[in-house]
Amino acid sequence: MHPVALLLSDARLPVAGHTQSGGLEPALAAGLDDVPGYLALRLATVTRTEAATAVVTLAHLQRGEGIDAVYDAWAARTPSAAMRETSRELGRALWRLASRLWPLPPLPAWMPRPVVLGAVAVACDLPAEDLVRVIGYDDLQTVASAALKLRPLDPAVATGWVVAALPLLDQLASSVTGLARPEEIPATGAPWIEQLAETHAATSRRLFRA
Amino acid sequence: MPDPTRAPSTRALRLGICGPVGTGKSSLIMTICASLAAELEIGVVTNDIYTDEDARMIRAAGVLPSARVVAVETGACPHTAIRDDVTANLMAVEDLEAAFALDLVLVESGGDNLTATFSPALVDTQIFVIDVAGGGDVARKGGPGIERADLLVVNKTDLAPHVGVAVEEMCADATAAREGRPVLALSRHDPDLVALLLDWVRGQVASHAAGTLVPADPGPMAPHFHAETGWHSHDDHPLTHQH
Repeated sequence: MHPVALLLSDARLPVAGHTQSGGLEPALAAGLDDVPGYLALRLATVTRTEAATAVVTLAHLQRGEGIDAVYDAWAARTPSAAMRETSRELGRALWRLASRLWPLPPLPAWMPRPVVLGAVAVACDLPAEDLVRVIGYDDLQTVASAALKLRPLDPAVATGWVVAALPLLDQLASSVTGLARPEEIPATGAPWIEQLAETHAATSRRLFRA
Repeated sequence: MPDPTRAPSTRALRLGICGPVGTGKSSLIMTICASLAAELEIGVVTNDIYTDEDARMIRAAGVLPSARVVAVETGACPHTAIRDDVTANLMAVEDLEAAFALDLVLVESGGDNLTATFSPALVDTQIFVIDVAGGGDVARKGGPGIERADLLVVNKTDLAPHVGVAVEEMCADATAAREGRPVLALSRHDPDLVALLLDWVRGQVASHAAGTLVPADPGPMAPHFHAETGWHSHDDHPLTHQH
């Protein structure tokens, strides 16, 4: 694995990752008790769309093409305005850091996190498969570590969920790594997650931004 | 250290306000805003731990246009958000500075404990707030904020007779712990004390504008004295030394 992939998937990267629960906070509030199932659901749906957006961004930038069409495809496949806003906030935080570290290709302002990750991948020669694994793994750990704050339990249990879900990263990688065109980005939404994201964005009592 | 791409005098002064829960951080901010809004352009960033209540309260007080008060959620990490990963707060501060031509941005920490202080990467100067109702011994117990914040406020002095605390003694303890750094006994009901607070803020704004304000880190832990070993810093023996 490319060393920059390790850096990007490390929660200590200062990109405000501690503000995120991967939608777990509202999901628990709505009665979720199967967190491993939730992890799998995300990887198969919303996170798959994000990962595909990142690799298509990488392909576009490698071909020297603009990313407007990629952005539009991502936005069309991310129907929750709250989730688009969250991804743009995370993208902005990552851009803020990464643009100080690497010569990134120019992007419009306020690009979502997968587009910024795609730009980082171009700048660092990060392979598409590593990019997908970074996004999938980060999603797993975001949810698992938030679970330890929201429903305290033996940390080995939460880490066990991540370990058990690691084979799903292979599936994710094999399904989206080769994508190159915006129209190939899967529209794998999850209306339940999207609805909860909208609810969470409107609540006045929350620990996590999203 | 705050944004090295800008000269210090071209953006607002970023003033952090931290201290334990309930010591009066939001009240202090409202006092500053209400008193200085006529002479300074001010914005506020709050870091509530569980709600946006502080931001709503400050907006509801009507001391600032509501768009100038923004809340940052910290994912139960109020400490992280002001110290080791200040990204979310910096973005909020920069958004305020970009939207309004500000002289002063007040950043309120999520009420945490005696060990939480701001990174100089986020704020140029900081106030640590404790109060007499928290007990007269708090100042003596010390900690990085009490000992080395740019200003220590001992708040709610009007309550001292009701909680059996001698304000003079508490401030003397604090002054001794701070090696000459300023201590301000404050009651928002005492206009003379509030005036001292406002003068300190004005002085910081002027110093920042002149480019002479150098942000200082209160540090995670102060060097201190043990009779048997002499002066040391905990960086020297992080694993072997217990308190």
